[in-house]
Amino acid sequence: MHGSDNTAGEIPLDKDATLDARGLMCPMPIVQLAKKVKEMNSGQVLELLADDVGSKEDVPAWTSRTGNQLLGMEEEGKAFKFYIKIK
Amino acid sequence: MADKFVMVVSEGSFDKAMMPLIMGTTAASMGMEVHVFYTFFGLKLLKKGVRPKLKGMMSLFTGMIEKKMKKLNIPGYDEMMQQAKDLGVNFYACSTSMALMGVEQSDLADGVKVLGASAFLNIAADSKVQLFIG
Repeated sequence: MHGSDNTAGEIPLDKDATLDARGLMCPMPIVQLAKKVKEMNSGQVLELLADDVGSKEDVPAWTSRTGNQLLGMEEEGKAFKFYIKIK
Repeated sequence: MADKFVMVVSEGSFDKAMMPLIMGTTAASMGMEVHVFYTFFGLKLLKKGVRPKLKGMMSLFTGMIEKKMKKLNIPGYDEMMQQAKDLGVNFYACSTSMALMGVEQSDLADGVKVLGASAFLNIAADSKVQLFIG
């Protein structure tokens, strides 16, 4: 599994919640993301961790489709970190 | 209004079972309205307690692929079906196929609606995306 010693991201963002979808494969990261976002409030920032290689394309597609804002993305080894601002 | 996504499923093998659930849960998670119509050999996928098998001789390896999926943390058929229902995906059984295959409404899983082609086409007529899985 992944260590918890992830270095701080280059994107200096305050996040309101983190969803760890590492270990899940398509479509589950997107399904869980949609569920999580429903529980959050407008303007809040969600950090999403995912290591399904498809996430790199899937998460930006999801944000553009749903009107939520992708503030940034980082790659850390085999995992991705996404920062999403809830619409 | 949400974009509509419709699928027609006419085969009942393992891959044809999983595909509409993967696509359907994803589309629903993207805010789309999803409608799936099951006809011919696809119909059995809507029966209670179904366990879809790989096609033909490959059916012997269904257990292997199920195990591998579990290992990879990929949800199985029942779990995906439940996810899809929770996300509001609509499932329809073709009434003619039911008669042809001897399937009764009571054989079908909860939440499945029985329709004819006309009612489904009425739903599909203003859809944005259509997939045929057969």
